[in-house]
Amino acid sequence: MAVMAALRSDTENLHPGPFGTVTGHAVSLGTTALVTLAGLAIAGHGTIANIGLLYLLPVLVAATRYGLRTGIVTSLVCSLAYNFFFIPPTHTFTIEDPQNIVGVMVLLGVAIVASKLASHARGQALIARASAAQSAMLAGFARQLTGISTMDALAQMLCRTIGELLDGDTVLLVRDEGTIAVAASLPEGFRPDPIDIAAASLAFERNRPAGLGSDMGGASEWLFQPVGTGERVIAVFGIARQDAAMPLAQERRPLLESLLDQAGLALERIALEQEMAGLAQVRERDRLRHALLSSVSHDLRTPLTTILGTLGAMRAADGEQAQQLATTRSEAARLHRFVDNLLDMARIEAGALDRRIEAVDLSEAVAAAVDDMARTLGGQAVMVEIAPDLPLVMVDPQLFHHCLINLIDNAVKHGGPTPVAVRATRAGNALVLAVEDEGPGIPPGDERRIFETFARIEGSDRKGGTGLGLAIVKGFAEAMGLGVEAANRGGGPGASLRIRFEPAQLKELPEG
Amino acid sequence: MSRPITVVVVDDEPAIRRLFHASLSRAGYRVVEAGTAREAMAALAIDKPEVVLLDLGLPDRDGLELIPLIRGAGAAVIVVSARDATAQKVAALDLGADDYVSKPFDSEEVLARIRTALRHRLASESVTSVVRSGAVEIDLVARIVRKRGEEVHLTPKEYDLLAMLAKAAGRVVTHAQLLRAIWGPGHESDVEYLRVAARGIRRKLEDDPARPSLLRNEPGVGYRLLAG
Repeated sequence: MAVMAALRSDTENLHPGPFGTVTGHAVSLGTTALVTLAGLAIAGHGTIANIGLLYLLPVLVAATRYGLRTGIVTSLVCSLAYNFFFIPPTHTFTIEDPQNIVGVMVLLGVAIVASKLASHARGQALIARASAAQSAMLAGFARQLTGISTMDALAQMLCRTIGELLDGDTVLLVRDEGTIAVAASLPEGFRPDPIDIAAASLAFERNRPAGLGSDMGGASEWLFQPVGTGERVIAVFGIARQDAAMPLAQERRPLLESLLDQAGLALERIALEQEMAGLAQVRERDRLRHALLSSVSHDLRTPLTTILGTLGAMRAADGEQAQQLATTRSEAARLHRFVDNLLDMARIEAGALDRRIEAVDLSEAVAAAVDDMARTLGGQAVMVEIAPDLPLVMVDPQLFHHCLINLIDNAVKHGGPTPVAVRATRAGNALVLAVEDEGPGIPPGDERRIFETFARIEGSDRKGGTGLGLAIVKGFAEAMGLGVEAANRGGGPGASLRIRFEPAQLKELPEG
Repeated sequence: MSRPITVVVVDDEPAIRRLFHASLSRAGYRVVEAGTAREAMAALAIDKPEVVLLDLGLPDRDGLELIPLIRGAGAAVIVVSARDATAQKVAALDLGADDYVSKPFDSEEVLARIRTALRHRLASESVTSVVRSGAVEIDLVARIVRKRGEEVHLTPKEYDLLAMLAKAAGRVVTHAQLLRAIWGPGHESDVEYLRVAARGIRRKLEDDPARPSLLRNEPGVGYRLLAG
């Protein structure tokens, strides 16, 4: 941190104070005395013309090295000495020859002009040195930043470095689930007041400095500066002085800002790195889940396929066996449906549904579902009321097929032996497909709950099923962009479960 | 017939092969089992089967790749596929598979598919002129459709669709195959044309359009004319 020390001492030299430094004056007096002694020595040999030029030396030295005031003081002292020792009448402060007044005026003028020039030059040099030092410091800072790979380390480094450099208390605040939290501070363990939090949130929201010394002031003693890239504020950096004075001189603001710009880039890099790592983790989890799904799918379905196939091929020798066989078949079929449902649910939750949206004729789709369910339905009637002039619906045929099967299955389970109806009606520009039963209906307030995983309507536990059917309907429907709703049937007891097609999901019939 | 009809069962699961073996033997077929694509190709060369029951999930090769080879050897291919593998079924059919059955399958259904495939294989040279399905009669030579003896007027596209399904009676024909043949190669994904024509046919020929006995819709795959 030697560079910073240099920065600080240079700043002191540039502003020597209103009356010059003691050293400056002492050195000036010394050189004036030396010049006078030299002058006296020369004057002893006879010629005293232009001896006054000697006094330019201390004036120039004082003006260039110690600034204007010291220069003027020195020029006055020199004039007095010149007057006293060399201008006749010597050893008095009176001037007889007006020519010698010019000599005094010239000394004063030289002192002023030389000190102006010198201080300007010195100022330029100091600025150049300061900016070189600042660049070196920023480069060093940037180098340090690249080595940091965690948010915590970055926050600590930022607070420590900037705190030491700008000689203040520092804090880095981040947003954490809606609240503002301290990522690091110097000294450690800083707890922001509500006033500070308010100023910091302002900096977060407006992406502008807030607090003491900014144009968005407030009661906070801290100056909060947003850290981030472009529009995005990742963190807020705060600085304050222990004596509650202005946290930062105006001319140091650009330095702080460029430091924080670099910190913003580093923060974004770290955030991106963490995101990438998270992504890799998600990908790995998905891969595992996929592997598990396909292996469960294979390992459960293969034996079930064999069992169902074998049972299907078996012929009963007598009535008792026929009954046993029928029971075994229906239980195996149930187990198979359960496995299918579990896998469907897993696919929904993994977001692993393949969709291929195409135009589907509702009456055709319903007919295929009813046909597939022939065995489950037994002799139970399904009334289908779908007008022949309805538009086609844009769905994934396979997912929609399973939606229908699950809806009809649900209606059969809860409706008992009463008829199940499938109706499609226009509702304004939309189309609603309703599967209705005449069972006990849905208890009030449960209309949404019945689509939840493993939700079962009260008192229906003995009806069998896994409580997955309707959750699958909802999952599949939502994957196709369709809405589902449940209500009690108008005009009598019974539930009405509906799939709603918005105009964008309808295809009016082309001619042909 | 000098030798019984041979069916090669290609599946990597011995239990499934045994199951097919039992039900097919009982139905009078000679059954050859193959657990890998390699064994299937060997069986194809040695046993000269009429039908191959092909599970697509094989350990050594993608089952889809075998379909053109089996078709090239003159055997019918019936694909055995998971219930939800719609895209796989369509791909297999478009590659020339005769039909598919979904797991878990019903032995009767498998036997029916085999019979249909064999019928088409034998009849492929001599085109059937009249196809019957319930009360409906489709005369492919005179291009006339009758229901209970009465002529029913169909639009040209409706007739083309019905005729194409009738020629493949009992077998599924994919949407893409139908659209390509009837509407032209640029219309393979215009499923809505197909839906409209099918709706017209159903309205004119089905007794109860909600319970079709003529046209069977295979969701996401294609249509099948229920023959008999």
